[in-house]
Amino acid sequence: MAFFEQDIHDAPTTFLSKYVFSYDHKVIAKQFLWYGIAFLGVGGMMAIMIRWTLAFPGEPFPVIGDLLFPNSGGAVPPDTYAMLFTLHGTIMIFFAITPILIGAFGNFCIPLMIGARDMVFPTLNMLSFWLAVLSAVLLLASLFTPLGGAAGGWTSYPTLSTLIGSAGVGQTLWCLSLFVLGVSSTMGAVNYIATIITLRAPGMGYFDMPLTVWGLWLTAVLNAIFLPVLGAGLLLLTFDRVFGTTFFLAGAAATSGSGDPVLFQHVFWIFGHPEVYILILPAWGVVSDLLSFFARKPAFGAKATALAMTSITILSTVVYGHHMYSTQMSPLLTQSFMMLTMVISIPSAVFFANWLGTLWKGSIRFQTPMLFSLGVVFVFGLGGLTGLYLATVSTDLYLHDTYFVVGHFHYTMAASVLLGGFAGTYYWFPKMYGRMMNERLGKIHFWISMVGLNGIFMGMMIIGHAGMHRRIYNPFVYEHLQNLIPLNRFITYSALVMGAGQLFFVYNFIYSMYKGPIATQNPWEVGTLEWTVPSPAPHYNFKEIPVVRCGPHELGNPNLVGKDFQYQTEELVKA
Amino acid sequence: MNLLLNFFMKFFVPSANAAEHVGFFEAIKPPVDISTNGHLIDSLFNLTTNLILFFFFFVCLGIFGFSYLYNKKRHPKPFYDHGTSRKQLALVAGIGALVFIMVDMQITTISNHDFVNHFLNYPKDTEKVVKVEVLAQQWAWNFRYPGKDGIFNTEDDVVTLNDLRVPVNTKIVFQVSSKDVIHALFFPNARIKVDAMPGRISRLWYELTKTGQYPIACAEMCGTFHYRMQAKLTVYPEAEYDAWIAEMEERAIHVTEPDKPELFWGWQWEPNGITTLSKN
Repeated sequence: MAFFEQDIHDAPTTFLSKYVFSYDHKVIAKQFLWYGIAFLGVGGMMAIMIRWTLAFPGEPFPVIGDLLFPNSGGAVPPDTYAMLFTLHGTIMIFFAITPILIGAFGNFCIPLMIGARDMVFPTLNMLSFWLAVLSAVLLLASLFTPLGGAAGGWTSYPTLSTLIGSAGVGQTLWCLSLFVLGVSSTMGAVNYIATIITLRAPGMGYFDMPLTVWGLWLTAVLNAIFLPVLGAGLLLLTFDRVFGTTFFLAGAAATSGSGDPVLFQHVFWIFGHPEVYILILPAWGVVSDLLSFFARKPAFGAKATALAMTSITILSTVVYGHHMYSTQMSPLLTQSFMMLTMVISIPSAVFFANWLGTLWKGSIRFQTPMLFSLGVVFVFGLGGLTGLYLATVSTDLYLHDTYFVVGHFHYTMAASVLLGGFAGTYYWFPKMYGRMMNERLGKIHFWISMVGLNGIFMGMMIIGHAGMHRRIYNPFVYEHLQNLIPLNRFITYSALVMGAGQLFFVYNFIYSMYKGPIATQNPWEVGTLEWTVPSPAPHYNFKEIPVVRCGPHELGNPNLVGKDFQYQTEELVKA
Repeated sequence: MNLLLNFFMKFFVPSANAAEHVGFFEAIKPPVDISTNGHLIDSLFNLTTNLILFFFFFVCLGIFGFSYLYNKKRHPKPFYDHGTSRKQLALVAGIGALVFIMVDMQITTISNHDFVNHFLNYPKDTEKVVKVEVLAQQWAWNFRYPGKDGIFNTEDDVVTLNDLRVPVNTKIVFQVSSKDVIHALFFPNARIKVDAMPGRISRLWYELTKTGQYPIACAEMCGTFHYRMQAKLTVYPEAEYDAWIAEMEERAIHVTEPDKPELFWGWQWEPNGITTLSKN
């Protein structure tokens, strides 16, 4: 089905062309992976500082506090606190999850899983990574400006994010950084879309693609449509900040004509809600595949799962208004958005039914990737269901902007996506580096993460329902929140446990890269195309472009002799 | 080492703070409900919780039950099945429909009913209400009562800072705007909030049922001292409120300086609520 011949290029020989400015999708994937993991560390450290402040407001941050905040005796000052949660959100979403789930897995899996030698546009791919680096440089540079980095929340609502609320060049750099990142991700997205459409191996229909590729594809579609919207909004915001326009200014501050701050919220959330699905769709895809691979039976209703993902992708574009109930949109809009949001339950329920259907009567191998996948089903169940409180307008009147919201979206966007990302990392590590990661350390990592993140995010939902609102430096200036001190401390301890648990992953990852046991070509005994080539995959991926003859989930077929799975290149064995 | 020691001290030695002796389930209760409509939110919350737990129970049953029943040792031969038979598709679609009808439609109907009939059902002009204009600013709440003449933005307006006093058992209508950035007027005890946006007037109403002092918070990130943007809500018995407002109105006539324009931040009461402030 490939639209054109793909040649085998010579292997790059110099260090620069091999590891730095590489056109090879696998190298770019690894670059994105390292980039994402590094920022995951930075964002995680910020989270721990935030949690420390909430549990022990005004007390010095242990060990490195004196070094970072010398002027306040080691305690996080209020303005730095605002900067921390702003950058925690920004970094985790755009610089950690996006590069890992989309940049790394998208680049690594798409060509290998659809039987292509590389992306359609290798240069664009390389440019996409280096623009992401530029964007990171801009963001990090903003920290060293005189008034510090952006501090208006990751949503950066005007007028707080205009000169009225945040002077200084930090917020401008933040806007530019995300704009550049948007360009980078859009480049990646068009590349993914084009690659999947044009370079599928002969014989591979859309429903013969692994669900991972489906997830990544739909994510790319959303990215390509909605990141430009965010870019437009950020550009207008930058104009307001730098050139004195008043797109988002109103009231007394708008001295020359008046715009509307709520307009930005519309622009932001019409991107922002799909963004949630941009992050979670690859994780859904990975989990849908891994559950089948490790339950050793075909994915239950794979086509229905793919179509449910597609319908969620479409629905995600028309529900954004539920983020804005408290701005008092017209009641008709509020009611419409409430109703549309509810419809998302149907495809979500289809997922869960299919995931559990996949496990049903399987022969489940509890290897690390499977544990993480089951973890995703669990935490996404909690995260998805708690969204109902926020979709109904009357409960949202109370819960909006409380920690309940924080807990809810961390369950979906942080817990599920992170666990999905880890599942994928453990699973494809052998194909990336040719070595296996340690199972025991992986399992320890899983259980610590699971306990930690449920402690954190369940705790957050509880304190949110108890009335604690978001983004406050010291909750205990409010009398009605003082009962929550112990619970806040518990959340902080859970965060510390969770943070410490990640050290197992870092150690495992780096150690296994050099010293792990050599991986066989197909350590998980799975039939998708990436496992038909040696580990690590050669730079041209496939010596011969494979011809696909069956679906990706052909496991446990009783007619098979000698093995319980068949490669996608083999004719389906029938009785 | 000292730091480490400090850290462990905190972990193991309970602090002497009295608040920590509140039981866990006492501590995680939402603030006491003082409004006529708060119970609607609480009951919908509880209903949603029960429905969620019902379905999440089945998800857990699936995850843990299947993990137990069908692990490799206990069930070495997987059942080769693509889940594409008519029956299975009907089952999956049925689960989707069941969740939608049982959970979503139910809570949406209730929420919509409450929204239209209670939260949006603003008191009519003929009713006796207390009208308050609220102007948020970094980082304080300004409240304005119309004063003796009943008209806003005149010399006899009663203006307070971070101090809202209202009578019990009376409908209170707020019109809310902001001077600088977006804030949100949040009454945890009334379970309700509304954004305060520059250039717009948003509105809110409630009727309180309990006297006493309660917190008012800013729920929308509004800058460094967002967390300190706290005001006090005092709910008086009617007679006490009348006495207080009468005294304040008397005082306002003598205190307000007519030639200070910045004192007149109010606006004409907008009978129909949400409006964009005209530029002047």
